[in-house]
Amino acid sequence: MKITQEKINDVAVCILDGEVDINTSPELRKACDLLIKNNEKKVLIDLSGATYIDSSGLATIIEMFQRLKKTGGHLRLSSMSEKVKNVFEITKLYKLFEIFDTRDAALKDF
Amino acid sequence: MIINEKIPSRLGLIPDFIHGFLKKIKHLSLGRDDIFSIKLALEEALVNAIKHGNKMNPGIAVEFRADIQDNRLTLQVSDKGDGFDFKSIPDPTAQDRLVKTSGRGIFLIKKLMDEVDFSDCGRTIKMIKFIHKV
Repeated sequence: MKITQEKINDVAVCILDGEVDINTSPELRKACDLLIKNNEKKVLIDLSGATYIDSSGLATIIEMFQRLKKTGGHLRLSSMSEKVKNVFEITKLYKLFEIFDTRDAALKDF
Repeated sequence: MIINEKIPSRLGLIPDFIHGFLKKIKHLSLGRDDIFSIKLALEEALVNAIKHGNKMNPGIAVEFRADIQDNRLTLQVSDKGDGFDFKSIPDPTAQDRLVKTSGRGIFLIKKLMDEVDFSDCGRTIKMIKFIHKV
């Protein structure tokens, strides 16, 4: 999995490319650690390039959500493929997260 | 076709193992959705067996068996742990459990595979997927 980060206005955007699995979730956790350390308050995870996600990937994103919430921050998710979206639907995590079809829609919502 | 494998209890081996297994069943011409489901269910079962069953002891192997018939794929994963009460698994989609960072593996397996059974006090999970060729 490749993680690309960019800043759009005051939003830290984390773009995931590849498979978010038991081997790659720790990389995502490290990226999240850095965002928290940098005191980012608005974080968007763009999953447009994510082809797969397992329960460790879900756990990492939930952890990020909780940590941001504690610091008064906000997390948005966007651009999921149908298969990845299905995992969020099966687990009903769409109730927990704010999920947008496109990155632009998520950015506008902050 | 039957495949029997032993996997050392190291989480890092799982993605390559699954990749290798999916190559072996490529001739089944499974649809993309079925491949996604099998991959995710198998990963969750192997993670559970290694982490909770064999307690990450690389000296203890997880046993994997795949039985591939014309219209069904049966996957079996066994560990050497203490077993668990598979009849009382909390629902991870309950409102008060949504924020939990664990407890979704078996739930996902049950949703993604057509039949799921446990035996040997929870040390063995059997997962069946009926094959829809494309």
